Amino acid sequence: MTSRTREWQLVLPLALFFALFVFAPLALLGAVSFYNDPTMTTPGVAQYVKFVTDRFNMAVLGQTLWLGLLATVVALVVGYPLAYIYMVAPAALQRVLMLVIVLPLLTSAVVRTFAWVVILGRQGIVNTALTALGLVDTPVRLLYTPWAVVVALAQIQLPLMVLPVITALGNIDPNLRHASHALGAGRWRTFVEVTLPLSAPGLLAGCLLVYAGSVSAFVTQTLVGGGQLMLMPQYMYQQAIQANNYPFAAAVAMILLVAVLAIVVMVNLVTRRTQSLVHG
Amino acid sequence: MTTRGVALALDAITHRFGHTVAVDSVSLRVEPGEIVALLGPSGCGKTTLLRIVAGLLRQSGGHVAVGGGIVDELPPNERGAGIVFQNYALFPHMTVERNVGYGLRARGEPRAEMAKTVARMLGLVRMDGYASRLPRQLSGGQQQRVALARTLAVSPRVLLLDEPFGALDKNLRLDMQIEVKRLQRELDITTIMVTHDQEEALSLADRVAVMNHGRVEQFARPDEIYDRPASLFVATFVGTASLLRGKLVDGALECAAGRLALGSAVTPAAGAVVVAVRPEHFRFVDDLHAGLDATIELVLPLGPLVIYDVVLRDGTTVKVTTSRGAGVTSHAPGDTVRVGLAAGAPVAVFAE
Repeated sequence: MTSRTREWQLVLPLALFFALFVFAPLALLGAVSFYNDPTMTTPGVAQYVKFVTDRFNMAVLGQTLWLGLLATVVALVVGYPLAYIYMVAPAALQRVLMLVIVLPLLTSAVVRTFAWVVILGRQGIVNTALTALGLVDTPVRLLYTPWAVVVALAQIQLPLMVLPVITALGNIDPNLRHASHALGAGRWRTFVEVTLPLSAPGLLAGCLLVYAGSVSAFVTQTLVGGGQLMLMPQYMYQQAIQANNYPFAAAVAMILLVAVLAIVVMVNLVTRRTQSLVHG
Repeated sequence: MTTRGVALALDAITHRFGHTVAVDSVSLRVEPGEIVALLGPSGCGKTTLLRIVAGLLRQSGGHVAVGGGIVDELPPNERGAGIVFQNYALFPHMTVERNVGYGLRARGEPRAEMAKTVARMLGLVRMDGYASRLPRQLSGGQQQRVALARTLAVSPRVLLLDEPFGALDKNLRLDMQIEVKRLQRELDITTIMVTHDQEEALSLADRVAVMNHGRVEQFARPDEIYDRPASLFVATFVGTASLLRGKLVDGALECAAGRLALGSAVTPAAGAVVVAVRPEHFRFVDDLHAGLDATIELVLPLGPLVIYDVVLRDGTTVKVTTSRGAGVTSHAPGDTVRVGLAAGAPVAVFAE
């Protein structure tokens, strides 16, 4: 046996794991989605037809993707400067910042989501503060709004944005910045022309992670959105568990999967182009 | 392009990183149009000094003057210092053309003007035809030419080169050294280069500042550095020198291995001294009173030269080079010889 074939065997455990717990359920899900009736007797594409011909269903899909995009933009606007500050901070401050950045990853999404419920609720921190300051007479509705979902998703997914950007910024040769300054470019021009384009691969990777995480974040979407806002993950749950319509729930899942995959592939194409520019 | 050289003066430049002194009260006066090499081992403070001149680092003390005006408060581009980095630091995502035009764009030069300057610069470094390439599509030498063009495009008054040839292989290095010297002469631009390669410093520079532990040990022409080293460090760092320890008595060195008549007049010094001798200044002699008894240890024929590794009576080893021409007696390992100094050979004497 050549060493090449033996090396190949090293991937067997992972391959087996993926086959059993990812691809098999996915295939099952796919199979279930191709039944026309909830009792799964007649195969067909009726569920998909039902989804794409119903304006409500398409609105749920659009809303989910749109909310994911908003969460990604918020995470980017907050996360990029945070990563930049981390890179220019002195070593002692870097350690503190890194702890702050990864801290959300050390608590579960459920805990972080409940924290947002506490912050945004009618008797929550924000409303209590606003009332105490006399800025509002009655509590403002913050929880169960689309923006609450966007902000909570962005915060919860933030480490996935910040960490790849930090890596990308760290890979940029500091002499490039020095060269730019020495040639007469100010801080802003140096950032826009040198730092930003060269950190694009990390930025796109971060966006991808946050986006994929946000559109499928059932717990946060449901608890912070409070059912006022129908999104794909919750729609699946409702159809499968409450309506007992497994084929339709499976179709909803497949459609979300394909939609997200399409976006991932598109962004990856862009990423590859920018990466080839950076790494040659 | 007529960049007229300007004078550059460093006045008692000191720089500290925390508690370590990287540059210790360095004063240098560089004449207009001169190439000066900062030569020293790594960690001697030469790159720190270059970055201070460039304005990338603010010194802890002292002043930098370009063309007579103190530039300490000015950012890099306003002090007229252009720097070429060791790894060239070309922007990897920009074409050659955009790299070279970067400085001009930053200062808001009109498009047409910019295109003209970029084309002229690429011609100057013989890189016309490469305008639309990306840096990664270029060889090391080509990247360096582009880096030079990018720096020269903004007409700096002083050109700073950080280990300019360190990343090039040996053959290319000589080509680029000639190229840089040609450009420097053509533009008559005052240049400071940092290097740890003594051959590079001695062959390219008009004057060399040998640095050690943040201080300038000697600042002189290359031949002076080689023939009259100002310190033991310079004597051993630049070129090869054999060290003999002893006392000066009547213009000769008395050491454990015997008595060596010095080839040229030396200032008498009391107490223990170290004499540094270049291998080519030793001679094999017959005179029983002028030389030191020695045994040939190793013979290295090196083209036109032969290098002998010779052991003196007290165990000190010295290196002797002789030419290998016709009529020159050659020695074999094990031979006993007498080693003396050539008449008029410069010797450097340092207090122990």
